[in-house]
Amino acid sequence: MTPAAALADRNGAVRAAARAWKEAGAIDVEALAAIEAAYPDDRQGVGPVFRVLLFLFTLISVSGAFGFFMAIGGGAMNNALPVLLLLFGAGLTVATEFQITRMKRARGGVEAATSLAGIGFLAGFVFWICDTSNLKMDHSLAATFLAAAFLLAGAAWRWGYPLYAGGAMASFLWSFVAFPGARLVWIAIPLLAAPILTRFSESARLPPSHRDSCAFALGVALAALYAAVHLGSLDSHLLEERQNAWLPSSPVLRGLSIAATALVPVIYLAIGLRSRRYVFLLLGAGTGVASLVTLRYYVHLAPLWMILTLSGAVLVAAVFGLRRYLEAGPGKERHGYTAEPLFEEMGRRRMLEAGAAVLSLSPEARPVHEEPKFAGGGGSFGGGGASGEF
Amino acid sequence: MNSDVAEAIPRLVEAGVLPPDEAPRLLRVARGELLSVHWELRALLYVGVLLVTGGVGLLVKENLDRIGPVAIAAGIGLAAAAALGWVVRVAPPFSWGEVPSPNLAFDYMLLLGVLLAAADLAYVEVKFTPLGANWSWHLLIVAVFAALAAFRFDSRVVFSLALSTFAAWRGVSAARFGLDLWWKAGDAVRWNAIACGVLFAVLGFSLKRTGRKVHFEPVAVTLGWLLILGALASGMGEPVWWAWTVGLLLAGLGLAAGAFLARRFSLFAFGVVAAYAALSRLVLHGVLAESLGCFWFFITPIPVIVGLILAQRRLKEPE
Repeated sequence: MTPAAALADRNGAVRAAARAWKEAGAIDVEALAAIEAAYPDDRQGVGPVFRVLLFLFTLISVSGAFGFFMAIGGGAMNNALPVLLLLFGAGLTVATEFQITRMKRARGGVEAATSLAGIGFLAGFVFWICDTSNLKMDHSLAATFLAAAFLLAGAAWRWGYPLYAGGAMASFLWSFVAFPGARLVWIAIPLLAAPILTRFSESARLPPSHRDSCAFALGVALAALYAAVHLGSLDSHLLEERQNAWLPSSPVLRGLSIAATALVPVIYLAIGLRSRRYVFLLLGAGTGVASLVTLRYYVHLAPLWMILTLSGAVLVAAVFGLRRYLEAGPGKERHGYTAEPLFEEMGRRRMLEAGAAVLSLSPEARPVHEEPKFAGGGGSFGGGGASGEF
Repeated sequence: MNSDVAEAIPRLVEAGVLPPDEAPRLLRVARGELLSVHWELRALLYVGVLLVTGGVGLLVKENLDRIGPVAIAAGIGLAAAAALGWVVRVAPPFSWGEVPSPNLAFDYMLLLGVLLAAADLAYVEVKFTPLGANWSWHLLIVAVFAALAAFRFDSRVVFSLALSTFAAWRGVSAARFGLDLWWKAGDAVRWNAIACGVLFAVLGFSLKRTGRKVHFEPVAVTLGWLLILGALASGMGEPVWWAWTVGLLLAGLGLAAGAFLARRFSLFAFGVVAAYAALSRLVLHGVLAESLGCFWFFITPIPVIVGLILAQRRLKEPE
């Protein structure tokens, strides 16, 4: 990031925090205005809805342009495909750089779309080169993933897109899948990178976007580590699809994998709880659920309905207990945790909850064309009613 | 942890911008010394409710013969009554305004109770067939029950469930916002979806106009418009595609204009996307040359982008 962009990024973090304080009633309008004046934002951005629209229509336009040049060229354009990929990739990268550094655009949608499309075209160009160099398909894909990893990492560093950093880590790790020893790499790299990324994700020397980029990359690395040691992935040879012979069956290896499947979530959670680092907490909870599902898959403890009902009841009871425990603490907090909402926008989150309820709990529609003849089959659980069949 | 905010807070206190009594708590949050798990606990409760209702569904399905219908119906009914009984006991008095939840679990126990009651009703209907040929009416009963519970206990989640169950009664899966109409709908379902959408939108409008449960309005209006636009868009592949497409174009333009005036950003987005899709369908009908189609999608987004930037300047959607 340019120094100006980094400063704007830092100011943006303070302004965002101030808006959250205002939402929570911690400060008034005058205080918010004073903070916004003290931490000015010279970046040109738009709100989230307009950002999505601008992103969408920019991508449509870029794709249309590419398709148009391909279509008017007919068969001859097939030969010129790499040139077109390179031109579009380079052109869009320059356009992104211009928008972000010269036009001072941030959170505008258009520059995000041009950056994504630019990276996509350049990765496509790399794939074309590899593919026409008589490389094996696996190796071509590996080279493309590697190139995408560098492009994404560069974009995250230069333009401050945290999501790209996560994508870069995923692409980098995926580029090894075509080769023997991918599982070892998936274990070694996250173990080496995690302490560094954790430190950088909190470093005051980095602007907020870079800190977030490190946190995203850390999250992906931790997830990859869990995937590499997971019993299911070992048994299914998930990372040895193309190198099956590389990983012989071994009871010792399997035993280690079983232990790791159980322990890794515990370690993540322990680190997260102790340090209040959100990435570790999130990954700990997610991998914990995955390990419990794995346990149910391998060991038939009880019928599924019982597992679901009991685990749901235990979860609800645990949340009740945790909430009571936290609220009973001095100032409604314990060990640096509170169940109270802190400076968050409630309205939008509650709308998301309502949307989630529609998506996950809506009953199936009844068949409208059905004649009114009852056949004793009209219900299923899982929604605010019933239809279909039990 | 946000070091920039942590650095800024003492300066803002010194400058007299931040009240000194608020500063320590803000500083602890910025330094990562205090972390709220409020939304995480809510999410876990939601997952817990899903697991319990899923487990109960499987229990009934797998043990129908072994346990016996009366025992199952009574068991689920008791569980629903227990959850709803707790809700009734701790619920604050009714108000037409927004009522804060008495505690974190309130919404989710209500949701669990309503879902279990709905499941019980569905089971009773299947097993004992009290409604006979009109079995699908139990969906309407559930929708009305959920709506009453939503209004009484002020739950947006249960209100959205009431709306989607009502749509299911009319043959429309609200979970797919009308998108399933693309594959299996006849005109009857399509018109039902439009009617549901209009009803929801009008309901939302009425809530806002009368000042009663105004905070339910976005749920009703958003779901309503999604159903209307989804239904109209699904007609674009029908033999009389042009009528549905013109309908979509007009609805999209009307929605975008109305939302622009009302500063409703997400509705504005729905309108713009719907109108653009309909216009593209009308213009490109019969165009066989691939290059012309691509040219359309190359050029036409540019004025849309310019228009959006101008609209944003006027509306100033908060970042």
